[in-house]
Amino acid sequence: MRKLRAVWVRLLGIVRGRADDEFSAELDAHIALQVEDGMRSGLTEGEARRRARVQLGGMEQVMQARREGRSLPWIENVARDLRYAVRTLAKHPAITLVAVISIGLGIGANATIFAMVSRFVLRPAPVGDPSTLLSLHIAPKGDPCCNEFPLPVYEDIRDQAKSFSGVAAFYELLPASISGGGEPERVWGQAVTTNYFDVLRLPMVAGRGFAEQESRSPDVVLSARLWQSRFASDPQIVGKSVKLSGKAFTVVGIAPASFRSVDQILNIQFWVPLGLAKELAADVPPQNSREYHWLAVVARLRDGVTRNEAASELDTMAHRFEAEYPKTDKNMAFRFEQAGSLPPRERNAVLTFLSVLSVIVLLLLAIAGANVANLLFAKAAGRQREMAVRLALGATRARLRRQMLVESTLLGVAGGTLGVLMSLWATQALSAFHVPAPIPLNLFVALDWRTLAYTLAVSIGCGVLLGMAPAWAASRPMLANALKGEDALARPGRCVTLRNVLVVAQIAMSVVLLCVTGLFLRSLDSAARIDLGFRSQGLLLVSMDPRLNGYTPEQISRFMRQLRQRVAALPGVDAAVPTDVAMLSGGHRSDGFTVSGREGKDAVNAMTELYMITPGYFAAMGIPMLAGHDVGEVASKGPRVAVVNKAFAEKLFPGGNPMGQHVNGGGWTYEIIGVVGNTKARTIGEDTRPVLYRSLDQSIAEDPSGMGYTLVVHTPGNPAALSEAVRRQIYGLDPNIAIYNEETMEEHVKSAYFLPRLAATLFGVFGGIGLLLAAVGLYGVMSYAVSRRTREIGIRMALGARTGNVAGLIVRQGMALAVIAMGLGWPVAWMLSRFASSFLYGIKPHDVVTFVAVPVFLGVIALIACWLPARRAASVDPVQALRTE
Amino acid sequence: MGDKTDVWQGTLALMILKTLETMGPQHGYGLARRIEQTSGDLLQLNYGTLYPALLKLEQEGYVRSQWGTSDNNRKAKFYELTKAGQKQVRRATADWEQTTEILSRFLSPAEEA
Repeated sequence: MRKLRAVWVRLLGIVRGRADDEFSAELDAHIALQVEDGMRSGLTEGEARRRARVQLGGMEQVMQARREGRSLPWIENVARDLRYAVRTLAKHPAITLVAVISIGLGIGANATIFAMVSRFVLRPAPVGDPSTLLSLHIAPKGDPCCNEFPLPVYEDIRDQAKSFSGVAAFYELLPASISGGGEPERVWGQAVTTNYFDVLRLPMVAGRGFAEQESRSPDVVLSARLWQSRFASDPQIVGKSVKLSGKAFTVVGIAPASFRSVDQILNIQFWVPLGLAKELAADVPPQNSREYHWLAVVARLRDGVTRNEAASELDTMAHRFEAEYPKTDKNMAFRFEQAGSLPPRERNAVLTFLSVLSVIVLLLLAIAGANVANLLFAKAAGRQREMAVRLALGATRARLRRQMLVESTLLGVAGGTLGVLMSLWATQALSAFHVPAPIPLNLFVALDWRTLAYTLAVSIGCGVLLGMAPAWAASRPMLANALKGEDALARPGRCVTLRNVLVVAQIAMSVVLLCVTGLFLRSLDSAARIDLGFRSQGLLLVSMDPRLNGYTPEQISRFMRQLRQRVAALPGVDAAVPTDVAMLSGGHRSDGFTVSGREGKDAVNAMTELYMITPGYFAAMGIPMLAGHDVGEVASKGPRVAVVNKAFAEKLFPGGNPMGQHVNGGGWTYEIIGVVGNTKARTIGEDTRPVLYRSLDQSIAEDPSGMGYTLVVHTPGNPAALSEAVRRQIYGLDPNIAIYNEETMEEHVKSAYFLPRLAATLFGVFGGIGLLLAAVGLYGVMSYAVSRRTREIGIRMALGARTGNVAGLIVRQGMALAVIAMGLGWPVAWMLSRFASSFLYGIKPHDVVTFVAVPVFLGVIALIACWLPARRAASVDPVQALRTE
Repeated sequence: MGDKTDVWQGTLALMILKTLETMGPQHGYGLARRIEQTSGDLLQLNYGTLYPALLKLEQEGYVRSQWGTSDNNRKAKFYELTKAGQKQVRRATADWEQTTEILSRFLSPAEEA
């Protein structure tokens, strides 16, 4: 304690200045008293004063001893080093600026990617005590992970498992329309068991939440965002009634603002009891079936129970279920991970993507670092005199080294600060990428404390590492050379210098970086040339889900027909066709299809995408009719008809004619009345899938769309300009219909390019920065080489070398470095590129164009970077050069 | 003055504290003289080391100082013991007695035998 107090007083001592005067007064008093004593004992005043001073031991030394005791000398020393460092850095603004920007770019890139890692991998779920909350999955033996839970299986686990203090289940996505207080809006909620928030240990911001017992009373917990946007944060909201999809619900609580969903990806706006799910969704599976897998489950580990114990208990239960329900629970097995970690299905892809990115940004930082190290080296070379003088005057080498390290650390921290600023902007830009999904995702990435701590650590580490080599070299100058003003860092007889090694490493790393960048740019390019199979211009998409307003399928059918006529009558509209979900919206409905009469064991079963269409769909979408005709106006109860795409026809009727044939899928039989061209269905990167288009009127009753219905409007003009008019027509039919996903097909397609665009943008930026840094680095090294060899060049020229020879000499030297570097980097890039393969569209990871173009391109850049200093070397005036010394 | 002993490392603080305890508030010179006198003029005190030691004690909160007037009307800085200082004197004294006792056992083994 006392020691702490002393340190604190000493820290204050640094800040407080004027104590020196007071102490000198105290010493004066001391001497005066001793002189008086001495004179009393008979000495002369002079002698007494002399003795007093001798015994005190020198005023200055005492003052200094006290000064050192007064504050913390090492802090003062560091402060002095810092002041000195700031001054030196300010004296070379150009070098400092380049260094700070280089480090800033490197660290900014790292901070941005780390922010993504932190957001998607490290951040625990926004629930109470996240480490003991587990997400449970059913992972049948031999099947790829993972499936959701049937309600009875959940109930068995809840009632029987002893490892958990609470188990909750929820239906992940439940759409509802909400109206009143502004335009009607579609929002997404979850149906949860009423213990949900208790298991999550999330206290309500307002209200008491759901009742303990499972209940069927229409209660709802609102998200803080919905409460704010829809109800102006009404403090009296609890107990009031709100309407979801036209049904009254009583608000019993407001969830904390930080909570959107356990998985941290869905953006959920409300929660209702599981028993009420049926009120909001028509297609909720039967409650007591062990076959329908529809519930996500989270479980809270009981205190003192380990995950291994929980896992073995679940294993035992799975065996029991298998024995008890051999029909439905065959191969039953459970697995779990901490709630809020990446969903197991996407986990590997996301991790690979983030790892590739992390490696790339670390490369970038290494390139930037090599650059700065080279700069610092050049600067150290320019400061040999200063160092030598300080050494000669008695400064210790450690002290000089510390000085250099403080300087580079300062550069590192300054660069880090710049990097944080840059990544603030970059994360925002990243979050603006629109993900092609019809469900509400929250993928917002921001800098959090983890990222800031990481950035600070990397900045300091970077600074120290960067300063190490120059500090070592500069603190050991060849004293004699330095004082003479000659190069004291160049050690005699050394031809592989650290600077050359650095620049070779830098270029080698840029080869890797540029090859990966090239791959992704080529991938975007080839993705852009993918034939979608339908037109993207002149189409407006408007989605709605009248089901949420209590419409029966017949009513929806009638509503869509009326809307179609009304919108088609608008000026400038060619056609308006309702469908269920626009193409390129990710997965939607799919079923296995077989040819009727060929249902044998080895009959071809084609996994087929299903779309509902209305007459005129293919003409409006610009999909070519290859045979037969459109669905037309068909009786909704009549025999089912379908149009299939070419891929479907080829898969099920290879070499035959599909027209008039019947196919089975999803429990229905369709007659094929037409064949159309292939289109991309789920994503742009996919291999063409079989698609079956069925009549909306015929399918809506028995297989309603869970994602609502989309009106596709075709216009020869600008589709965006139509949106107001279309909205008016919808509200004209029913003012309570919520409109969502309103966009032009161009926008829709653009967001479908999400992955290749994201990858190309990230890698394009990183590759560009890396290239720039490497070019600057090579240029710097060559310039330095030229400046050091000025005299040599002068002599050569005086002896008759022509300017061409001299320039050639320098260029050869630089290009040798570049070629060595490329020879090292190219094979590494070749090996690394296969990790990127799963993210590439339409090109192979060992893309010939990329792997030929990159070295050539880099070679040209290197040539330019060498040529500039070479020209300077060639323009050396031999007379001047020889005279300078 | 060749036969005088220098102050041992670490003992000066205790001497200062003990002197302040017995003498009450004292200025730096007075303290120095008193320490020399108490030692029977056997100690050679470098007055210059006194002040850093006083500063350290002050930082640790064992003494406090304020300006006052000496017997012969001279302005000087007076040091006095704080409550914590009084406790520290007792503690350090006990420590020191134990140390010397242990040492003396080593130095005079004959008595044990």
